Amino acid sequence: MVADPSERSSRTTRITRDSSRQFQELRDARHQWAASREILAALGRAVDNPGQVLDTVLEYAARLCGAHAVQLFLLDGDVFRVERVSGDTPEAYRAYLLDHPIARSRSSTVGRAAEDMRTNQIADVLSDAEYGRHDLQKLTGFRTLLSTPMILQDEVVGVLSMWRTDVKPFDDRERELLEEFAAQGAIALRLESRGAELASKVGQLEALREVGEAVGSSLDRDEVLDRIVSNAVRLTGTDGGSIMEYDESGDSFHVRAASGSSPDLVEQLRAITIDRGSTLVGRTALERKPLEVPDLAQAELDPHLEILFRDGWRSVLAVPLLRGDRMVGVLVIRRRTVGTFPPEVSELLQGFATQSALAIVNARLFRELQTKTKELEIASQHKSDFLASMSHELRTPLNAVIGFSEVLLDRMFGEINERQDEYLRDILNSGRHLLELLNEILDLSKVEAGQMVLEPSTFGVGSALEYTLKMVRERATQHAITVTVDVADGVDTVVADELRFKQVVLNLLSNAVKFTPDGGSVSVRAYREGTDLVVTVADTGIGVPPEDQERIFESFQQGRRGAPKEEGTGLGLTLSRRIVGLFGGRLWLKSTPGSGSTFGFSVPGLPEREDEVASPERDKLPVVVLVDDDRASLDLLSVYLDGSGTRVLRARDGVEALEQIRRVPPVAVVLDIKLPRLDGWQVLAELKADPATAAIPVVIASVVDDRPRGLAEGADEYLLKPIRRDELVDALRRLGALGESS
Amino acid sequence: MTPRRILVVEDNPLNLKLVRDVLQFAGYDVIEAQSGEEGLRAAREDPPDLVLMDLQLPGIDGTETLRRLRQGPLGRDVPVVAVTAFAMAEDRARASLAGFDGYVEKPISVRELPGQIEAFLDGRVV
Repeated sequence: MVADPSERSSRTTRITRDSSRQFQELRDARHQWAASREILAALGRAVDNPGQVLDTVLEYAARLCGAHAVQLFLLDGDVFRVERVSGDTPEAYRAYLLDHPIARSRSSTVGRAAEDMRTNQIADVLSDAEYGRHDLQKLTGFRTLLSTPMILQDEVVGVLSMWRTDVKPFDDRERELLEEFAAQGAIALRLESRGAELASKVGQLEALREVGEAVGSSLDRDEVLDRIVSNAVRLTGTDGGSIMEYDESGDSFHVRAASGSSPDLVEQLRAITIDRGSTLVGRTALERKPLEVPDLAQAELDPHLEILFRDGWRSVLAVPLLRGDRMVGVLVIRRRTVGTFPPEVSELLQGFATQSALAIVNARLFRELQTKTKELEIASQHKSDFLASMSHELRTPLNAVIGFSEVLLDRMFGEINERQDEYLRDILNSGRHLLELLNEILDLSKVEAGQMVLEPSTFGVGSALEYTLKMVRERATQHAITVTVDVADGVDTVVADELRFKQVVLNLLSNAVKFTPDGGSVSVRAYREGTDLVVTVADTGIGVPPEDQERIFESFQQGRRGAPKEEGTGLGLTLSRRIVGLFGGRLWLKSTPGSGSTFGFSVPGLPEREDEVASPERDKLPVVVLVDDDRASLDLLSVYLDGSGTRVLRARDGVEALEQIRRVPPVAVVLDIKLPRLDGWQVLAELKADPATAAIPVVIASVVDDRPRGLAEGADEYLLKPIRRDELVDALRRLGALGESS
Repeated sequence: MTPRRILVVEDNPLNLKLVRDVLQFAGYDVIEAQSGEEGLRAAREDPPDLVLMDLQLPGIDGTETLRRLRQGPLGRDVPVVAVTAFAMAEDRARASLAGFDGYVEKPISVRELPGQIEAFLDGRVV
């Protein structure tokens, strides 16, 4: 009986992990679009200054790829000389590198990238026998290196290289990002070398930026491809074009977008299958480079070219759409006149090709994830239906097991002997244990299926805690464990689902009693943190080793918490954490092995209070106000500031933010832009307009990419989401809001 | 005073036996029914003082049985108590919506059931 539910629950966990991995992928993809859009926007702003383009490329590459440093090398004769360096590199190293350029050989990742004309990674230079630049390694301490060539007209002109000082290979996404940056950098290099062509290139870059924005902002593949192809045709001064997507399953190409083409022509193009073997499009894909037909009348025509020729087209240029090593499709540009295409046209089209490939891949990824998400939802629904009916079926016979044991134990039908009494108690306890397990499985499946509906009401915190205390009192007394409850001043009622609140407290409390040795103590505290109620349950048990402190929140993982006096279900903590999550709070553990554990959870829903009653140690701490409408973001930012020596107060909209800031003047405000009621810009304006608050430093933390406006309107720092812990901490430190040591 | 009669409608024979034994031990007369139809028939032949009814029954379910009991043999005055599973808030809500006079939670507690029944009979629980 026990094996069955546990097996099912591990499947539950697996499905949950699968789905969270899917969402992670989708999030990664979104971040990458955001990144592409961000760099294109930055490039657009820097377009009249090629040097600044290069700096932007390096800066973004370092930030978005999580590299410690990024450097640009240019080919000078037969060596690579460093041209620009971003990130944190010692001055001595820069000087040394100028005097000791890098050879075009296999002794470095830069040399290898140039020689192979493709991206090269060394996961750990210290275990790469061929690696020969240990002089540089010693100066910087780098371990993982990634380099990608910058190619102009089939020649390597430079190499973009980045490193990490820990052994942590760059993943495919980071590699692709660096390749994209290299492509952008190459264009900038060209601009720098040809001042005269600047004006026209500016137009091209702007068009690319526009296309880039379309790619980033729309998931409608055909719409994006239409914009790409019409921009490509316009900027190259040609008459028409189309984008073909490669279909791997059919090993053929299909028209996805067209420009300068009659509906009739588009229909004809859609009707044919362009295979990979014998067509111009197919050969472009195979050879991975642009191919042209200057005069269709003189060429051998495949079915695709045949249609074009009959429609009056005379010359064609095809450019492959590649995403890393993957063939995604082909961009075709055509003219009604005969003649070869100038090299600039082909070069420019390659920029469009990169964006087209990105759009196609994004759209595919998104479709795939949508399908998988749907499948997972269905699987999850089946699972919870199954669990609901299973638990009902199991519960009915358990009722009989429990009930008849009680009948006999109560001597309803006569006396029983001591051993019978003992065995009956065993049966009764096992039955109750199974029942508890069933209830928790059912609850957990409800939470996971999103079917647990909370019924909030206003109830007294003290009496709810007393109630749960009553449930464990008998057991605690048996083991001489002292249990105390302390409700802080200012905590009276809370708005939450009372039943679920008690369930969580009872779970923590019964665990605490269970894992505390005889004669120990358990203390329950409730206090206020802003508008959150915090409840902690501390025991004097054996504690939880650091390596297990996350694991015990997973299903069926309580085993190693020492030798329990009685088995728990192994689901209680998982369930409690999920329920607290539904409340909009969080559940945590602080434990030192040998001196006990403290489990705590927060529940939003305490009534607002005009003046915070003094809590001496906390009130001395400087206050940081976090403003975000998304609770998950607030939680993350709060976690980032844990142990930073500040007291975090939160606000969920602009009005609340202003109230909060005026009530307790903070040392800094971390402000989101998209907020209900008053948005971040309005909050910023209000703060700056009021002499009482004008001096409070503001860090904008948003997905809205408008640093210039933020700084112009008085923000001190501008962080783009997603934000890492060190970005936030560093920003607050620069503003003097955090001490140096924290 | 003659013992009061409790009609127990429960499809699971083991649970039915358990409830019967406990209630008999507490001094009640117990009429057993394993389905809604049987319950209706028994109520017509031998009107009970209280009905204890499982919600999930084969054939016509507890709610429908209640409706027919109220229309026919029982009238308004005899309390009908639902037996619902713990942690099934929906079930409890459904039970009170359907017009049951109250509910006892599964697993029924051998120690508490007689007291609960007595309270319903006395009209102490509405």
